[in-house]
This record gives sequence, structure tokens and C-alpha cells, in this order.
Amino acid sequence: MDEEPERAKRWEGGYERTWEVLKEDESGSLKATVEEILFQSKRKRVIESHGQVRLGMVSVSMEDHDLKPNRLTSTLKVDSAAQPSRCTPVGIITTKNKRAEKLTDLAGNPKKHIAALKKAVDTVCVGEPSLYNSLNLAIQTLKHMPGHTSREILIILSSLTTCDPANIYELIKTLKSLKVRVSVIGLSAEVRVCTVLTRETGGSYHVILDECHFKELLMLHVKPPPASSSSECSLIRMGFPQHTVASPTDQDAKPSFSMAHLDSSSGPGLSLGGYFCPQCHAKYTELPVECKVCGLTLVLAPHLARSFHHLFPLQAFIEGPVEELQEDRFCQACQGELKDKSIFTCPTCRGVFCVECDLFIHDSLHCCPCCIHSQSAP
Amino acid sequence: FRLNIDGLLVYFPYDYIYPEQYSYMLELKRTLDARGHGVLEMPSGTGKTISLLSLIVAYQKAFPLEVTKLIYCSRTVPEIEKVTQHQIKSLSCLTQQLPGSGPLLQKEPLCRADSLRFGKEVDGKCHSLTASYIRAQRHSDPNMPVCRFYEEFDAVGRQVPLPAGIYNLDDLKDFGRRKGWCPYYLARYSILHANIVVYSYHYLLDPKIADLVSKELAKNSVVVFDEAHNIDNVCIDSMSVNITRRTLDRCQTNVDTLQNTIQKIKETDAAKLKEEYRRLVEGLKEANVARETDIYLSNPVLPDEILKEAVPGTIRTAEHFVGFLRRFMEYLKSRLRVQHVVQESTPQFLKDIFDKVCIDRKPLRFCAERLQSLLRTLEIADIADFSAVTLISNFATLVSTYSQGFTIIIEPFEDRTPTIANPVLHFSCMDPSIAIKPVFQRFQSVVITSGTLSPLDIYPKILDFRPVTMASFTMTLARTCLCPLIVGRGNDQVALSSKFETREDFAVIRNYGNLLLEMSAIVPDGIVAFFTSYVYMENIVASWYEQGILENIQRNKLIFIETPDAAETSMALEKYQEACENGRGAILLSVARGKVSEGIDFVHHFGRAVIMFGVPYVYTQSRILKARLEYLRDQFQIRENDFLTFDAMRHAAQCVGRAIRGKTDYGLMIFADKRYARADKRGKLPRWIQEHINDGSLNLTVDEAIQLSKHFLRQMAQPFRQEDQLGLSLLTLEQLESEEMLQKISQIAHQT
Repeated sequence: MDEEPERAKRWEGGYERTWEVLKEDESGSLKATVEEILFQSKRKRVIESHGQVRLGMVSVSMEDHDLKPNRLTSTLKVDSAAQPSRCTPVGIITTKNKRAEKLTDLAGNPKKHIAALKKAVDTVCVGEPSLYNSLNLAIQTLKHMPGHTSREILIILSSLTTCDPANIYELIKTLKSLKVRVSVIGLSAEVRVCTVLTRETGGSYHVILDECHFKELLMLHVKPPPASSSSECSLIRMGFPQHTVASPTDQDAKPSFSMAHLDSSSGPGLSLGGYFCPQCHAKYTELPVECKVCGLTLVLAPHLARSFHHLFPLQAFIEGPVEELQEDRFCQACQGELKDKSIFTCPTCRGVFCVECDLFIHDSLHCCPCCIHSQSAP
Repeated sequence: FRLNIDGLLVYFPYDYIYPEQYSYMLELKRTLDARGHGVLEMPSGTGKTISLLSLIVAYQKAFPLEVTKLIYCSRTVPEIEKVTQHQIKSLSCLTQQLPGSGPLLQKEPLCRADSLRFGKEVDGKCHSLTASYIRAQRHSDPNMPVCRFYEEFDAVGRQVPLPAGIYNLDDLKDFGRRKGWCPYYLARYSILHANIVVYSYHYLLDPKIADLVSKELAKNSVVVFDEAHNIDNVCIDSMSVNITRRTLDRCQTNVDTLQNTIQKIKETDAAKLKEEYRRLVEGLKEANVARETDIYLSNPVLPDEILKEAVPGTIRTAEHFVGFLRRFMEYLKSRLRVQHVVQESTPQFLKDIFDKVCIDRKPLRFCAERLQSLLRTLEIADIADFSAVTLISNFATLVSTYSQGFTIIIEPFEDRTPTIANPVLHFSCMDPSIAIKPVFQRFQSVVITSGTLSPLDIYPKILDFRPVTMASFTMTLARTCLCPLIVGRGNDQVALSSKFETREDFAVIRNYGNLLLEMSAIVPDGIVAFFTSYVYMENIVASWYEQGILENIQRNKLIFIETPDAAETSMALEKYQEACENGRGAILLSVARGKVSEGIDFVHHFGRAVIMFGVPYVYTQSRILKARLEYLRDQFQIRENDFLTFDAMRHAAQCVGRAIRGKTDYGLMIFADKRYARADKRGKLPRWIQEHINDGSLNLTVDEAIQLSKHFLRQMAQPFRQEDQLGLSLLTLEQLESEEMLQKISQIAHQT
């Protein structure tokens, strides 16, 4: 976390320079334009975040021979950082050497994925990846998901080529009919087939500029996209198990196996405490998980709270020129002077924020500080 | 929407306009106002054709008496096809606003009636059915074969004009089939009435075809040559003749047939020959009268002087003429029996022919005309069979008419195969202005335009005309979508060059291979690589194969190769496009000046990068080229080197220009030769490419180029929408009319 503020600063510097360049260069130099577009897309993401809980899956197309080793490593690093912040089942598929392999199954528990990814750092990337095979594998997993979920595939593709056994355009049609949304993050350049793939299935296609941009793009996908109106709504039964730790002095307490670890040989075997399913009392050491015995979804309250943000997102602030502001030009949140040419106003409490704070509020806080302040004051 | 261009109301079919289009129209209007000729260069993909058409149509409407017809010539059939396709939509909305804008015609000799499809022999067969004397005969003998379509057309078609509209080839065929008219004659006839005619160069430049198709076009037409960067070569080709031994053999049989027919006719119908004789004595007066009244486009094969004289006595009778032809042929045969290369000028050749076989200059000049007359008299319908003798007689006329601008080269064998005797007599035109002169003289405005015409001043020089406007336009871009890089060194600092001395150098070939290999790893989808010649390509690819480079490249992308065989190439192209489409990625290895470099566009993912290996100089050892260079130096004061560089650079520009076909497109342009970095080469690239070559992209190593390309490709992959272009490179009417924008626009055109 130490490098985090420093990163943010670099990023901030990145687009502050944008305005200067724009002012200086009337003919519209490349850098200015591209970064402005980036800035717009940043805004877009705040505006569009009206989501629903959904199931998703990440299929990471790891890369092959031509890459600097740190591209893979950094991908994994960024990736694992992104995982914990969502409470939806996720699965990981890798592809290399013309084959696709399932790295982890569809599951809600992030720890397992991170562990698997960490292990994957050491794998060698050889041969061509196969877009077709990995999509096919993903379809097979996603096909059986209930209708209220949104099915998503996120491809992180570093290769510029794909080695397919059949016509991929047929597969794209299938994806479209199954309402699977495919998004792609390209690590090197724009590939035509991905453009078509994302356009047809309604996903987005981005290509990274550098590592920071990559992280941003990935975070973009952490937020659920607006759910399509066709997805059905239904109630889901959930269990909220309590964590019970038997005191070591208790003679009756016996170490027992966690149900989640029964099928996998790895991980800690026996433990004293754990989460017990309220329905069937099966024991789990980690949440969220689906009960192996009775099929109940087991979550903790904080998990739901996190999803709640996606369900009822904070309304987007209204953007306006700084000239409109008559009073003193200070951001309500950071108390800094408003230097940029646009400001952001909360629609409910009319609080004024700078672009930094606007992003922070929407990305991390999920509630307007001024609104909370006014609620608690009287 | 409507535009006001310098006082002229132009209907522009799109909602938005590029600033350079506006600028282009301004220049074009200036040219038309001055009733002069113009040379305009505008990058491909910026809507050259549409601005051209909409302005001229508007001009036609505003001044119907001054400009009656637009003749739009393009190079190849697919390009013409594209023009009509693309214009139909936009022009149909124009035509609604401009009543009576008339048919847009496109014509190809292919569109003969279906009953006449005999492959190659279509010309002859058609002629045998529709020639006037055949038809006259039919009146007495109704059993003769008849072309239903032509008869039908002749009976009614001429009175009924084609309904106003836009017709392309298929439309015409359809129309002809419905009415039962021969579409070929229908097309030929309607050209005279069409307001806009779209066809290929050859109908205007090639004297043989131009005579048939274009000679009755009105004087106050505007002629536009699009994609005209090669126009001088087209002109030269149309006036040059190559004679091989086979030609002469076939000619021999032709002459024998002539002899027999004459003999036969003499026995049956001597009066006919007499009649012909009388006509020849009277001279070619009719033709002369026609030329003087300025009805026809003059035929450069048949210069004015000939028409004023009567056919000389020596070849007036048929037998004498056949004998004359025989002697001339024997002479040519003897000339082809040489052991060494001979090069001589036309006066030398004429003197020699006079000394050896006593053929004077004057009868030679009438050879072509006399042969036509004879064929007509003998009622030989199948003209196709007589192509050899026609060729020889054309040659005779040309060689005796022009004392300058032509050269005769006799080579006993090809350079590559010195052991196989294959004598060829090249009668080569060195002055492109001869073929195009009648066009410039006849029509009030001729516009030459293309994406790559730099340096502009050389075209007026070699085509010998004086333009009133010469302008080069740049592309206004919202983002720098082209990235020209000049790679001068390999990673090991070996200078990259396709120059003759280093051509076989192992290190250079290896570095070229490395460049392609590394590029194949970072460029998505399609890469097109151009070599300077087929031989060079074969050498390099073979040595890449030995070094295992090819194998490595194939791991990234599939490789396709252009060959001289057209069918093979189009197959390769198709597969190449499929591979790009599927995301597998592909590389197309092709040759500058080849089919791929000239007519095929690599839009978007089909060409994300173009690599030009070496500078595509022409084969400088060719004698024809040498003669031409010498001529250019003597006549036009163009130094050999200047012309060679000009020619090489226009082809290089043409090749790399294939990748950028519009403003949303983007592509890398890699010039892999250190000679490109020199000012004399760089200065000859079109302005729209030159603009983007900064000092940082000169003489790069392979590694540096890869770094720059990676960055470029990532930047370009960022989302790009139309709104981003608006106001910068895409204008609405309001934006266009703002004072500030008009000022900017005036800078786009670069006058020279």
C-alpha cells in the first residue's frame, strides 16, 4: 500500500498536464486527445454504475513467449489486488500453447483464486493462446447459471494472435445468444477479432497504456456493468453463519475438517473453530461459499454490504464549470482550492467537490460525506 | 447540405465535411474558372472523389454552357466500380436536387450481348455480325447470322434516350436485356449524352480505343484523371510497340491471307478494288474535313499532315501494298537476326530501311490507314485475326511519323537468359506528352489528381503542359493516425539498405529479417511488406528460410506471398484477409509496382503496418529506361537521378499509402532503408506523410522502431469516437463558416 499514494499522484499529474497541453496545442496533439478521452471514460464509469448483484467470471488469457516476464507477473499482481473487492463467484481460465485450462472453478472465495494465481506466476508461457478454446470452456461453465445472473467474461489478452480450431465468429454468435458479455483488456494493441467480439456481445474493449492504466481498466471491470433489463429477478436464500471458536480449555471441542477442504488436498486440514451452516451445521473456515451439503449460500454481512454499493450506487455528481460557483472555491471534502475547470455537485446536498474527491467518493466511500454530515448534525 | 464555395452553391451529400475537402473544392473551382489544367494532391481516404464530383456537378448546373460534361477516368476496373458504388448513394441525392443531371455511365467493352460471349474473340465475332457491309449483305440474303441485340438497338435505341439516372455496368446490362438492346452499343451511344462519364484511362489515352469511344466528346468537358500518379507510364505504354519473332510469323500468315483474298476478289469483283483505288486517289479528304471542324479528338497515331496528303502511288493498288508489307516484314525479320543489342533513333532506322529495301518514308506513314482501307474493301470481318499485321502497320506509321521522342531497341535475348535467343524489337515511346497532348489540347480543363503526386512540379514537366493550379493538401487529424518511421540500422548498427552493393550482404538480410520478426510480434492483425522486386524478394525469403527467421515469424503470423501469377496472388490475398479477420494475424510479402501495391487497399486491420524494404528503384540496367532517361535529360532538363528518385519515391509512397484509407484508420509506415533519411528522398514524399516524420523518427535502429511502434499502437487503440474529430478534422456547416476555421483551411493547401 506504500506505493499507492505515489501512484495516484503520478496519475493525477498525468491528466493535469493534459489541460496544459490542450491549451498550448490548438491543433489537438495526440497526447492531449488520448488523455482527454481517457478522462471522459473515467467519468463515464462513475455515471454508469447502476448495477445489480451478478455472477461473473474472469478468464485470464495469460500470455505466451514474446512477453517480458514481468508482464505476466504484473498482470497477476494487479489481478489479485482486484479480486477481493467483489463478492461474486469468479473462475479463472488460462490459455497457452493452443489449449485452455481451468485454473480455478467458479467460486466466490477470493483467497483460493489468489493462491492459484500466485502459483501461476511460475508457469512458463509457451505457444499461441487460443481464444476459441478458452471462450468455449467459459461458455460451458456459464451456461448453467440461473437467469437472474449476468454472465460475464473478462479476457486479459496480451497476445496479438489466437490459434483457433474452428471459426470464432460462430462462437461469437453463440455467446450473443446466451447473453454472455465479453470484455477484453488488451495488453499490447488492438486486435480486430476482439473488437468484433466485444462489440457483438456488448462488452468493452480497452488497451492499456501502462501499468497504472491497466489497473484502472481492471478496476473498471470490478464494478458490475448496468444489468440488462432482460435479466430476471428472484430471491436467493442465504445463510449468515456465526463464527464460533471453541476455547482450547473446552474438553468437548474436537478439531474437525472444513467441508471446503474435503475435495482439495491442499490447505489446512483440521481446525477447531469455523463457520457453521445454520441449516445443516457443516463447517467452513472461509466465506463466502456455497454449502456443500445443503446448497445454501453462506455469506457475511460485510459481503452483502459491499454488494449493496453496487445495488444502490451513489448518484453521480453533476459536473459544471468552475465559474458557476459564486462562493469560495473550496472542495467540501479535501478543503483544497478548486483549480480545475470543472466542479462536481452532489444532487442531494449541493456540496461541491473537486474531481479527485468525486472519484474517491464514488470509488471508495460510496456515500457523500456532506449528506452524512447533515444527517447526523441535528 | 449546401455549401458556398467562392460564390458557387455546392450540394454536399454528407452532414460533415473535412476541412481539406473544402480547400480542395476551392482549388478545383479556381481551375475551372481559369479554364486551365490543374494538378492536385490530396491524401487517400479524405474524400477526394466525392468533393470532386459534387463540385463539378454543381459547376455544371451553375454554368451549363461552359461545362457540359465531366469525364472521370480512373485506373482499374475495381476502382471504377468503387467510384460508382460509392457515388451512387451520394449522387442520387444530388441528382434529386439537380434535375437533369443525367446518367453516370461506366463502360467496359466486356458488356457485349450475351449471345456473343466467345471469350477473347468477342471483338471479332461482334464485328463480323454488325459491320455495316455485312448488314447490307443481309438485306439481300436473310439467312445470314444476325445479332438480335444490335439490330434492335439500331432500330429504336437511338431515338429513345436513356432515362436520366445513374448506370453502372450491371445496370446497363440489365437495361439492355430488358429492352433487347446491345448494351455495348447502348453504352457507346449514351456516352455522348451523359453528363458524367466514368471510365478507364485507356479510353482517352490509348489512341486505338480512344478513336472508337471518345472522339466525339464535346470540347468543353472537364476531364479528371484520378489515381494519376502513373499517368506517364500509361501514356508511354499506349504508344509503344514490341515486336517479337512470333508477331512476325503471324503477320506473315496474315499477309498471305490478304494476298489470297485479293486474288479471289480480283476474279469475282474487280470493280470493287478499282473503286477503292479511286477513293485513295481522292485522298483522305473526308477525315481532314472532320478534323478541321473540330469534331473529333485527334488521333495521335495519325498526325495532321497525313490527312492533308493523298495516299502515295506506291501502295495504292492492293497488290502493291501487300508486296510492300512483305518487304517491310522481311526487313524486320532481318533486323531481328542480330547477335548484339542495337539501339537507334527513328531517323536512323528510316535511313537504314531505305538503303536496304528501298522503302521510302512516305508510304510507311500511310501504312496503317491503307491497311484499314484494304481490310474494309476486302470485307474481312474477323479483325481480331489480323492483330499482328495491324500492329506492324501501326508501327510503320509511328516510326515514320515521329522523329523525336521514340527509340528503337533490338535485343537478341533477355538479360536474365542470355543463352536463349528471343529477339525483341522494342519501339519505345519516351515522351509521355505525345499521347496525352490531344487531351490537353482538346478539353478546356484537365485535372490530374491522386493521393501521391509529390513532387508536383515534375508532372507538368514530363507531360508538357502548363497547369493553372498546383496544390498539395494535408490531412487534418484529430489524432496522429500515421506513424512513419525510417529504420536505418539494425540492432548491430549495420546500415540497412537495398542498394546494389549491399544487396547480397548477409548482415543486411538478417537485419531485415529481424525487423520483420519483431514487428510481427507487436503489430496486431495484418502487416504488408513490400520488396523492391520479385527477384530480390525471392533471394531474401530464401535466405530467411535458411536462417530460420521465417519459422520464427510464422509463430506470430502466417505468411503469404505475392507472385507474378494473378490467380495465385488473389488467392493469397483472400487467405490473408481471412487470417486477419480471424485474429490469427498475417503477413503479406509483396512487391512494389506489383498488383498489390497499386490497386488493393488495406483498410483498418488488414494493414496495421506497412514495411518498405529498400527503395523501389526501377531496374536501371534496362535499355528502354536508359533511353528514356537520356531523353528526359536532353528534352526536359530533368537529371537522371532526379527522375529515378522521383519514380522510386512515388512508388514507395504509393505502397505505404495503402495502409491509411481514412481518418479513423491508423497504421505504421516503416521505411527500412537508410537512404530514406536523406533530404532528397524525404523531400519527395507527399506532404501529408512528410509532415509526420520528425527528427526523432529518422535513422532508427530496429529496437528503437519497435519501442516507438509499441507506444503508437497502444495510443491508437484507445477509444476514438466521432465527437473527438468534430471541430478539428470534421466540420459541420456552422463550424466551417466560422472565420477562424476559414483561416486554418487556407493553410491546408500548399501551393507550389
